[in-house]
Amino acid sequence: MPITDYDICPECDLLLKAALPKIGEKAHCPRCGLLLSHPRKRSIERTFALSIAGFILFFPSLLLPMVGVTIMGNVSTGVLYAGVIALFNDGMEAVAIVVFLASILFPLVNISLALLISGHLYFNRYHRYLTVWMRWMQNLNEWGMLEVYMLGIIVACVKLVALAQLNFGWGLYAFVALLIITTLLTSNLDNVLFWQRIEQLRKGRHHAG
Amino acid sequence: MQAKEQGFIRCHDCGALSETHHKLSHCPRCDSLLHARHPHSLQRATALLISSFLLYIPANIFPVMIVNQFGTGEPNTIAGGIVELFDSDMIPIGLLVLVASILVPSSKLIGMSVLILCAHFRWQINACRWTKIYRAIAFVGRWSMLDIFMISILVDLVNFSGIQIIAGSAATAFAAVVILTMLAAENFDPRLLWDNQQNL
Ligand SMILES: [Zn+2]
Ligand SMILES: [Zn+2]
Repeated sequence: MPITDYDICPECDLLLKAALPKIGEKAHCPRCGLLLSHPRKRSIERTFALSIAGFILFFPSLLLPMVGVTIMGNVSTGVLYAGVIALFNDGMEAVAIVVFLASILFPLVNISLALLISGHLYFNRYHRYLTVWMRWMQNLNEWGMLEVYMLGIIVACVKLVALAQLNFGWGLYAFVALLIITTLLTSNLDNVLFWQRIEQLRKGRHHAG
Repeated sequence: MQAKEQGFIRCHDCGALSETHHKLSHCPRCDSLLHARHPHSLQRATALLISSFLLYIPANIFPVMIVNQFGTGEPNTIAGGIVELFDSDMIPIGLLVLVASILVPSSKLIGMSVLILCAHFRWQINACRWTKIYRAIAFVGRWSMLDIFMISILVDLVNFSGIQIIAGSAATAFAAVVILTMLAAENFDPRLLWDNQQNL
């Protein structure tokens, strides 16, 4: 049997015959139960479309005001990046950097990489950095925390509701849409398929010359 | 029987299989370094975990945020913030913050310690159950950043002459605890739990 007919569970190191689940089906490791593959319908096309939408939505959610508060006649509005600046001005540089990375930079890099990779695969174009992009995207995925930030917004609003009047701006709606898009993006991106297609593209290029 | 003993290595990044006897140092498909197990998994995870244990103490003792109202500052610790939510009848949100900021970090610290001990002393355990516990620990870790994000939003929104919220020193320690425990979970290799089992 050739080596490509085998698979190894990444969490318990069991050698298996590669399962080839149909679209919509799931393959689990028989020993530890890990989800090994879950092919999605039209994964490349959907990833491409979702990452374009996410990339566009990123800018209104970053720049437009999300929440406005009125306390005793004073008004202030919160923007996604302003929390980072406020922490920086308070002398909490380390926390400011962590918030910047987890809520702004890593999600943006992730969406951009998904856009680059799925774009190349969609148009059947090879690029010698495709594997590097793929590795970066997989490793950064855990560190973008938009959904946790959303929960942070909710808790902050609940804390403020007793002493302030709240109103919500377009930035917040854009942020919620961005959150939905990135969630769909991660669930539609089929890593196994992407790696296979990258390898095909590389081999095809070598055969062509 | 482990794939490693049967002569196969799986690439950590792209999942391609290689045969050990070819003695490849890099993955033929994606060119990342090949390791049968994460390098220095237990040493790194232990070092990261000990650092997070140490930082966990200041994270809970010192105030995470300070509410300045008309010249008087009221420091808030993590636990204090939760008590305040309960006092103002915000029970569901209070429970949420309790889970994210206290239960998750502390059970992560304990769970990771037990996992490292199991792997280090080659205890005969139910590897399947502990792999699932590991998976849960790795999954919930990020949610502890909730408090940090909430503080960054409050610091920005509440900044008036009469009332101000500023971040306290425990915020730095707490953010460090969350990141260090996430890194510890990432460096811990659950396959070590299975390597030690004699009757597989
Ligand atoms: Zn397994
Ligand atoms: Zn590889």
